[in-house]
Amino acid sequence: MRPLDWIVLVTALVSIIAYGLYRSRGSNTVDRYLLAGKTMPWYAMALSIMATQASAITFISTTGQSFVDGMRFVQFYFGLPIAMVVICATVVPVFHHARVYTAYEYLEQRFDGKTRALASVIFLCQRGLSAGLTIYAPGLVLSVILGWPERATTVMMGATVITYTVLGGIKAVTWSDVQQMIVIFAGLVISLVTVIVLLPSSVSFGDAVLLAGAAGRLNAVTTHFDWNDRFNIWSGLFGGTFLFLAYFGCDQSQVQRYLTGRSIAQSRLSLLFNAVAKIPMQFFILFIGAMVFVFYLFVQPPMLFQQAELSRIRGLSEFPPLAQRYDQAFAQRQKAALALVAAHHACDSAAETRETGEYRAAQERINGVRAQASLLVERAGGEKGFTDTNYIFLSFVTRYLPVGVVGLVIAVIIAATMSASSGEINSLATVAVIDIYRRYVHREGSDHHYLLASRWATLFWGVYAVVFAGWAGRLGSLIVAVNKVGSLFYGSLLGCFVLAFAFRRVRGTATFVGMLAGESAILATAVFTDVSWLWYNVIGCVVVVATALAITYAVPGTISATPISATPGTQPRG
Amino acid sequence: MPGTRDVPDEAPPFLRTWRRVYAGILIYLVLIILVFYWFTETYR
Repeated sequence: MRPLDWIVLVTALVSIIAYGLYRSRGSNTVDRYLLAGKTMPWYAMALSIMATQASAITFISTTGQSFVDGMRFVQFYFGLPIAMVVICATVVPVFHHARVYTAYEYLEQRFDGKTRALASVIFLCQRGLSAGLTIYAPGLVLSVILGWPERATTVMMGATVITYTVLGGIKAVTWSDVQQMIVIFAGLVISLVTVIVLLPSSVSFGDAVLLAGAAGRLNAVTTHFDWNDRFNIWSGLFGGTFLFLAYFGCDQSQVQRYLTGRSIAQSRLSLLFNAVAKIPMQFFILFIGAMVFVFYLFVQPPMLFQQAELSRIRGLSEFPPLAQRYDQAFAQRQKAALALVAAHHACDSAAETRETGEYRAAQERINGVRAQASLLVERAGGEKGFTDTNYIFLSFVTRYLPVGVVGLVIAVIIAATMSASSGEINSLATVAVIDIYRRYVHREGSDHHYLLASRWATLFWGVYAVVFAGWAGRLGSLIVAVNKVGSLFYGSLLGCFVLAFAFRRVRGTATFVGMLAGESAILATAVFTDVSWLWYNVIGCVVVVATALAITYAVPGTISATPISATPGTQPRG
Repeated sequence: MPGTRDVPDEAPPFLRTWRRVYAGILIYLVLIILVFYWFTETYR
């Protein structure tokens, strides 16, 4: 980081936060602090929803994922438009008409208090864990750039996010997200243009795409079905739909965003904007990772992208021969890549086939060396299952991007995470205060009392997230870890809301037991099988619904005599 | 408090009805998957 990078970084961050705090003036009631007084326009909500997902993890981990595994991760988002349509058609108007602060408040109107409490606790567990991961990511960025310990940078980032969130409430969070998304879009375009410009002059953009494709890095759609395969079109369409239904329909961190809308139409438009924009955006980010892969065909990358771990194994006796094999494999891959490009230009299909084979074989040798280096890290006392996926893009940014652009990209990563973290902490505080504190601890407080409680709860969840972040580095690829943690809990939440909206005779006790059964099924699947985590949401949801329906129709007295409307206000409780 | 005001619903700003907007989104999803499939097969 040079002085110009620091100037760009500090200016971008300070101006984003200052703008958010400026727009949050007057957040002096619970309604304004937690729901922005229901005054937000659709574009602010849309960009805020997008910014919440596009955290630092998106940049750090998704690009790394593409570098090592190709672009097939984009299929994970195929279920998003389907989920958005379902939510807009069903959930959004119901939540608006129910006039609730949280999604779980609605469950008490539809079922009973214990179902609301269980859903709230499940959310607090799940989102509390994810909030730690979100704060860990920019701490990782700063530790790589500054050379500071990850723990110190995580605490520093966490303190900044907590202060900002406690002061500003959801209005500050939303308006700063708008600024952040503008910076993010700019940063993405500049990153892609820069990596393409940095390619050798003999390699055109078309050649780069050819080389990325030949190495299997442009595998955006894979149609082969496998229960254990995380990313294919089927897991994306089915598992992804369930996950996003749960995320946008049952997760307060998202529900709270569109509850701030001034009308149902504004909330719907904000979600549908995401349905249209999210997949191309993820494709774009993954494509940057694929282009970084091509860049490193011509500039030798380090054997491991995490310098600290590379230093750890450098002194081992096994390292020199490994390094020699790595150098040879890199030279062979580079030679094969150039030969492949030449054969393609000459329209020599026989040579193209031959050089593609050479190129892929050299890539396999490099993969083998990197895998062995990771094992060496474990043997040398490093973390078990070590992976450097999260360091690939950072390493590229800090070494090769021009001065000024480095500061901008780092600002994008940090600012995005600040918004994601602040949104999560804000929603955790909302559920803790509205669904637990106001419901079970202190029922008759003044508005000012609950405003203060919300600020204290925000502080508590911020500290909790920072503490958990200390453990996050052991979870491998962050983008996968975040969604895996979510999938452990989302299925049972989704099942509960499916019962609320689609099965009007089901009552509270049956739903409560169904949720316990669903959560047990998910945990059993995670512990005892190798089924991919994307399917946890489907399994949990199906078990919740099946169990509740079985109880409803099998046990006398649990069925509602009259169908209960999904829109509350007129129906009986329990 | 959130319960103190009415929540208006409106028609979408394009395609006249929400049902048409939803259909448009699903058609868009099919098209984007087809484009990605073509992309994958072309550069495999």
